[in-house]
Amino acid sequence: MRITWRGTELGLLIPILLLVPFGFAVTHVALSGTFEAGSLELALGYVALIVGAHLALVAFGHRGDQLILPAVGAMGGIGLIMLNRLPQDLAGTSALGFQLGMAATQLLWFGVGIVAMLVIAVGLRDDGILRHYKYTWAAIGIGLLVATMVFGYEVNGARLWIDLGPVSVQPGELIKIVLVIFVAAYLAETRTILTSARVRIGFLSIPPLPYFLPMLALLAIVMLIVVRLNDLGTALLFFGTFLTMLFVATGRRSYVLIGLVLFAGASYVAYQLFGHVQARFNIWLDPFADPLGAGFQPVRAIYALGRGGIFGEGLGQGLVTLGGNLTIPFVHTDFIFTAIAEELGLLGAFALLALVAVLVFRGLRIAALARDDFGGLLAVGLTTSLGIQALIIIAGNTKLIPLTGITLPFVSYGGSSVLASFVMVGLLLAISHRSALGTDAEASS
Amino acid sequence: MIATNVRRLGFYLILTFALVSGSLVWWQVIEAPNLAVRADNPEVIAARRSLMRGSIFDATGQLLASSEVTDGLSRRTYTDPAFTHVIGYASFRFGTTGIERAFEDLLVGQTDPNPLRDLLNDVLAREPQPRDLTLTIDRRLQDFAAQQLGGDAGAVVALDPSTGAVLAIVSTPTFDATPLSGDPETAQEPMDALRENPAEPLLARARQGRYVPGSIMKAFTAAAALDAGVITPSTTYPEQPRQESEGFVVEGFTIREHDLGGIQPALWPLSEALQVSSNIFFAHVGLDLGGEAFLDYARRFGFCEASEIGPPGRALAVAPSYVSEAVDDGCGPFSDEVELASAAFGQGRTRVTPMQMALVAAAIAGDGVMPHPYVVRDVRTHAEADSPSDTVLERFTSRGGSRVIGRQAARDVRSAMVDAVNGELGRPFAGQGDITLYGISDARSAGKTGTAQLGGEQAPHSWFIGFAPAQDEAEPSIAIAVLVESGASSSGRAAPIAGEVMAEWLRLSAQEGG
Repeated sequence: MRITWRGTELGLLIPILLLVPFGFAVTHVALSGTFEAGSLELALGYVALIVGAHLALVAFGHRGDQLILPAVGAMGGIGLIMLNRLPQDLAGTSALGFQLGMAATQLLWFGVGIVAMLVIAVGLRDDGILRHYKYTWAAIGIGLLVATMVFGYEVNGARLWIDLGPVSVQPGELIKIVLVIFVAAYLAETRTILTSARVRIGFLSIPPLPYFLPMLALLAIVMLIVVRLNDLGTALLFFGTFLTMLFVATGRRSYVLIGLVLFAGASYVAYQLFGHVQARFNIWLDPFADPLGAGFQPVRAIYALGRGGIFGEGLGQGLVTLGGNLTIPFVHTDFIFTAIAEELGLLGAFALLALVAVLVFRGLRIAALARDDFGGLLAVGLTTSLGIQALIIIAGNTKLIPLTGITLPFVSYGGSSVLASFVMVGLLLAISHRSALGTDAEASS
Repeated sequence: MIATNVRRLGFYLILTFALVSGSLVWWQVIEAPNLAVRADNPEVIAARRSLMRGSIFDATGQLLASSEVTDGLSRRTYTDPAFTHVIGYASFRFGTTGIERAFEDLLVGQTDPNPLRDLLNDVLAREPQPRDLTLTIDRRLQDFAAQQLGGDAGAVVALDPSTGAVLAIVSTPTFDATPLSGDPETAQEPMDALRENPAEPLLARARQGRYVPGSIMKAFTAAAALDAGVITPSTTYPEQPRQESEGFVVEGFTIREHDLGGIQPALWPLSEALQVSSNIFFAHVGLDLGGEAFLDYARRFGFCEASEIGPPGRALAVAPSYVSEAVDDGCGPFSDEVELASAAFGQGRTRVTPMQMALVAAAIAGDGVMPHPYVVRDVRTHAEADSPSDTVLERFTSRGGSRVIGRQAARDVRSAMVDAVNGELGRPFAGQGDITLYGISDARSAGKTGTAQLGGEQAPHSWFIGFAPAQDEAEPSIAIAVLVESGASSSGRAAPIAGEVMAEWLRLSAQEGG
């Protein structure tokens, strides 16, 4: 293997990585009231991790996309600055005899995630293992789902966690990946068999059964998630990702429309039948109806957005706690975006949104350039999964849609989320690398 | 093929990003100014926590409440628990009550009493200037009244009948509000203890407690009937002497007299009937007056609706008092004659606040004009010291009153109430309300006792309403209502307390004058 210089990536990483220690220092000045940079170990550790990832890609001659790592690195950096700024006892770990605060724990997970990303980006030479064992992946996904329902425990009303001794994991994050792999493999295969077969029932043209049945099955699973696990965000994410992949595979807007109508209908039924769905919906419609009770979190988040204004209150100067209590409960997971928008303002929020957009549109570019249907659909699935997840939680923060308890990839605190997000980026890089190699081969032949 | 669809997907995603960006602009730019001023915004709460609050002084310039900002937290100290139920508390955890609530904006300086200066401050975005308040209450009288109540649950309300200025308003048991202010974390425990206390120390009995009035209501019944011309001071009821012993049958229900203590029934006119507190006589008066007229007079006197201790717009709430069944918009019609007759002597469905009954006493003392009560005398610039500043920004004065009965009717009731305290027949019942027993030699008091029969094992409540000085042409300077819960077991507790407090006030006023 040959060393490949990745100049664009390096050029973009330098300013981004300089900003992370700078952000730590600014935060420390604001919080301590002294003109000292404070402890920069975590910031420098993060810089080392990202630089290490870049060098590893260079060393292994990786030809994949050069904008993804800078985008992800910037998101993770902003997230780490924010997590370091919040009270460190919100989360953390005491595993392996160490007592680590929230930011340090997050950094640890960044390390694990980046290693996983590199292994996949460099090591996945052949996508056969993904494509050919698609039913195995599906089985693993369903198995994980069932395990969550049986062994899971609830945090904040949603049953998302499984306790594995030293660590707790959110299987939803892993299910998301195997789901995308399965759907990509399924659609890539079906797509070649069926070209334009349609089923007509009277005037109504419904998708051919090979599309329609999985859609119904997935809808059923998704509704099960909403009702049994009370996890609206994951349900929305799964179904949204599936519909997007279906659209890209078939090019038919009507299928998406049918899917959305089905989803709306099922949601309405769930609303009528289940109290917790109803409650969540009503909080969304008018959180100010009960600002100290059910609407507390969304109302406090809206206030934080307002406080931020256009230019923000400045790093370390947001109103994170009041009399020893968080002004927004779960600020480090559900409302990390709001906390950033408070301190960095609308401009900072737009910048973060732009980073998500860079990730999404580079991901779509990888999909468009992919060597085959499976690679393309897989890239679409991974990209939209990451993008939709970010959009769902940000839109939930701004009350555009009901609030859900999913994480903002690379930014929110959470080991499972960080690991899963890096695995997805690793897969994207692997696809990108393969198509780059292919283009070279065509050019040289 | 896929590439084309991916491009179309990209277009939809751009739309979504735009939508989310729009929602950010909505909250961070368009709605931000509105969000910034909402009371439950943590920024507003945080600002309030460190906001300096003006002091509160009594009528003689004694410090009652003051604040200090330490470590960004404004802590309030209350010097006298006897004032807790009127001043209230300013707690970051439990909100603000009493005068603290009614005058919130002035105390923290969000508003200037002068509208022009207020506008200017707003335009120039000046820092808020805390203001101090002076009450109409004299701390010496307030403390004295609280001492008189001692360990009993009850209330004393004393008013200047000519102005409506509150001279004392005491509710017992009371509590120290200082631990409820300041750090919200440490306020929970004392509040829990207060909430769980069966003696209900959080209840401002003087204006929020409602009690059966018993015989003090007869002063009102007499006033209404005299004003309506239904009776004169010499009206008698021929069947009354016989009914004193046999009972008065109204619609099949027999109204019985209370224990007259050996007094032989006779043909009593108003003065004697009030002295012995004849239920039979006042049942007749009530029935002659009629239900509609009775309710009409009750409403004129301020019964049947929530009222306020001013100044207007910045008032302490007073719970509504009722003479009949409470309905949405006040007192419902009397269900039958028995209920009307019972209301006329203060039983039936009557339930009144001590404040309301002090106003009844004040109306009689004021020759038929019922004053509008108020409790804050002026607003001043903030004084750092323990004595008020000399710069008065706004002064609240008497807003006159409303005439509720004619002068002659008021005079006739007054004369009967003087007899009730001082007369031969009245002494055994209300004689303890005589101020000459408490060191006053040159004046007389007027009054009426009440014993609220509650039924069952519960000891009746003891009441007294009255005023002084009440002899001849003297102008009364204090009107009072005293309630002692379960205070009528042996001899009435309320009358001597009222006598003591009225005497104390006359002494204090004489000192000021001399």
